[in-house]
Amino acid sequence: MRLDLRAALILGAGALAAVYLISAPLAMLLAAAFRGPDDMLPFEQGAVWTWDNLVAVYGDPALYTNVIPNTLIFTAGAVALGFVTAFVLAWLTERCDLPFRNAIFALILFPLLVPGVVLAIAWIFLLGPNAGWVNTALRGIFGLAGEGPINIFSLPGMIVAQAALLVPFIYLLLTAVFRTMNPALEEAASIAGAAPRAVFWRITLPVLRPGILAPLILATLIALEQFEMPLIIGLPARINVFSTRIYYELNPDTNLPAYGHAAAVALPFLVAGLLLLMVYNRLIRRAERFVTVTGKAYRPSRFALGGWKAPALGFVALYLAFAMALPIAVLLWTSIFGYRPLGGAILAAASLDGYRDLFARGDFWLALRNTFLVAGASAGIVTLIGALLAWIVLRTKLPGRAVLDVLSFMSIGIPSVIAGLAALLLYLSLPLGIYGTVWVLVLAYSYRLAVATRASRAGLSQLHHELEEAAAVAGASWLETARRVVLPLLAPSLLASFVLLFIVGFREFTMPILLQSQDNLVLSVVLWNLMVANKSADAAALGSLIVICVAPVIVFARRLLTGRAA
Amino acid sequence: MRRLWLLPTGLVALAVSVILPRWAAAADWQPNAAMMALYQKAKAEGEVSLWTPAAIEGSWVNDQFAKRFPGITVNLTADLQGATKIIAEARAGRHTVDDWTFAIAGMIEVQKRGLMATQDWAALGIDPKDTFFDSQAAATHNFVYTTIYSKAAVKPADLPKTWDDFTDPKWTGKLVAQSFLLPRMMGFFAIEWGPERAEKWGRTLIDDRKLLVISSPSEPYLKSGERVMAVGESISLAYQYQDDGLDVAYRNLDLVPAGQFAVTTLKDAPHPNAALLLAAWLSSDEGKALYEKLIHEADIRPGSKSELAAEIRKSGAKIILEDLNTMAQRAKYYEGFSKLVRGQN
Repeated sequence: MRLDLRAALILGAGALAAVYLISAPLAMLLAAAFRGPDDMLPFEQGAVWTWDNLVAVYGDPALYTNVIPNTLIFTAGAVALGFVTAFVLAWLTERCDLPFRNAIFALILFPLLVPGVVLAIAWIFLLGPNAGWVNTALRGIFGLAGEGPINIFSLPGMIVAQAALLVPFIYLLLTAVFRTMNPALEEAASIAGAAPRAVFWRITLPVLRPGILAPLILATLIALEQFEMPLIIGLPARINVFSTRIYYELNPDTNLPAYGHAAAVALPFLVAGLLLLMVYNRLIRRAERFVTVTGKAYRPSRFALGGWKAPALGFVALYLAFAMALPIAVLLWTSIFGYRPLGGAILAAASLDGYRDLFARGDFWLALRNTFLVAGASAGIVTLIGALLAWIVLRTKLPGRAVLDVLSFMSIGIPSVIAGLAALLLYLSLPLGIYGTVWVLVLAYSYRLAVATRASRAGLSQLHHELEEAAAVAGASWLETARRVVLPLLAPSLLASFVLLFIVGFREFTMPILLQSQDNLVLSVVLWNLMVANKSADAAALGSLIVICVAPVIVFARRLLTGRAA
Repeated sequence: MRRLWLLPTGLVALAVSVILPRWAAAADWQPNAAMMALYQKAKAEGEVSLWTPAAIEGSWVNDQFAKRFPGITVNLTADLQGATKIIAEARAGRHTVDDWTFAIAGMIEVQKRGLMATQDWAALGIDPKDTFFDSQAAATHNFVYTTIYSKAAVKPADLPKTWDDFTDPKWTGKLVAQSFLLPRMMGFFAIEWGPERAEKWGRTLIDDRKLLVISSPSEPYLKSGERVMAVGESISLAYQYQDDGLDVAYRNLDLVPAGQFAVTTLKDAPHPNAALLLAAWLSSDEGKALYEKLIHEADIRPGSKSELAAEIRKSGAKIILEDLNTMAQRAKYYEGFSKLVRGQN
């Protein structure tokens, strides 16, 4: 299809925007790692090129004795636990005759949509060694003395909390894998007399391997980048990981934030992320080949759980209690009673002041508006650019389109703590006038092109180019063809991409905390600020409202995802 | 009967004689002629922007300033990273900040770059000994470190008298401290005790007393009963906790470390007259009294008329003020202690 000038301009603008959104922050980050001294901003007059940041960071023995081992244990533990849990849940809901499957599917998504900081605080309230509700109950039931028996402020505590956050993400990817799995081999093995356990270990698992390794790697990237759990749960246990090390460099004890040190810490983090991404890319290619060969209409048969139905439901209930029900209960309780423990005179302390105070706060309404604006605008921008990139890659012979494809996919390997830091450095240094505004968040969030590009590619690859050619023969311009033929057919893919990006943007905490100002507050930052300012009831009220806000999104997302799967 | 009647009368008389003079000093405060002349110029500017590290530091200023100097709006921005942004704005040629209040240690990078204006504070009634950086900033209040405890969970007889008392095994699993504040307080101790003793004290609390180190205020931990005593909090926080309904109190021990907060006017302030007027008022007797009355941030520097200063003097505790001469040394100490507290060493 020939491109007119307008089409060339639109596609060129999309390509340039993609290159800018990803490579500009990355370039800034790389440069900052080599700028010093550390009592100057990286691009302040007087700052020079230097190796000092790398020497300071990598000459510190604590990095090797403390940060790296902790990061490895934390990441491996959280990913392993999260993966096993998600795998069992996905297998139960997709391949077994578990009752209430649809409701369970929706409920498992809950932690995906709530800011991690909210869940971290709720879990502390539940599992604090002295006064945590669960610990208090366990001590009462078993007649135990002292503190505990569970201590959330520990490496295992961090791992369990992070794993609970990872479960819905892995679960979403695994359910897709389970749905596209051809059951012919399993059925053949069963007919040949293999026991269900043997079928699972010798047939199901090997067949799924390409599909399950990819989410495993993506979960590793997520565990590496998030710092809510390490900061809120890990600090009391004095456990440091890469992401908290970056946070501390940006919030130093003396002088200015050590941007150069933080960038230097981030470098291997980025390299590790990109290496994992390369592995992921290879696996995805293999997985796509596998799915293509077997991707025809079929409906996998479900295993009959029989007597295992009750234990299976018990496992699901245990997960949902920890990851959803108890945190919601804590939030509602705290929003009405404050942090008061359970007790006889508690009803007298009931108050809705937390909600009243919250609604009276100007920053709440500002943050509410900003959250929807930033999440919506960034999701829209990324979805649009992703669609343009997908069209360039699949429908044109433009030189460099493969680079664009790789670049867009690289974005998934950039942790948000790095993206936030890079955006901070970039817009602090460039006199564009957007630093401190809500637009700096929109631009910072908009680096996540991988999801949109992949979703658009998947949708576009299902549209035969003859449709577009027919429109062109009928005299339609490229823009008209895009608007009247391609976009309507691509709409479900674009909508799915938009919703997923909106959810990620809605709960984002890392980037807005790094880039915050009085004008660009978002809900997750206000929540954190309320906690820091001792407004526990207000913070819990806000957490409760976030839960109420995201509930319809869960239902919508579930319909969208299950609809697409169907 | 006559004696019973005399008792409340005596108490009232005592209160009048002790408390009223302090408030009267603030209530009697009037701007001098230089300040009134400055007010006339400032009024023409109409507004002034004030940056503070936290919202609570400045949330009261606009209303109170308007009572004294009507016609000038105070626009508040709370940002802990104020220094970075002031430097970045200056580099970009943008100047939005008029006044900036912060701990003097946090002002150094801005001061080093020559972004703070030198003022004739004495002409506006500010004692020269209450100024810093060669008259580039004036003192407003102190951040007074203390301990906050749950009154229901700690018996009066068990309360510590010295900071060393926290090393007693009876405090195991009962203490909480903020990762930001504890190392800073230990920096004061290092100046007083020497760094080895301060570090040993901190290590004992963390390793043996199982001190819970947190990144946010200790209120929820005290409220839920997770911990009963917060080490190294501030007196103003104790009042905030009480306002939030917590049954807590503060207790000053043998040493009372105190950070110094000051206000400065920026060299390229867009509203230079309003900037100087507001800064001078914040560091005046009236401004300081309002800091203490409204947000419990008192001035406890030598010669202070605040209630808290009198209370500490009466208790016999030793005040360790943040000092420009020892600031660099203390910063070095607390940088090291911070790694200890966060588990980075």
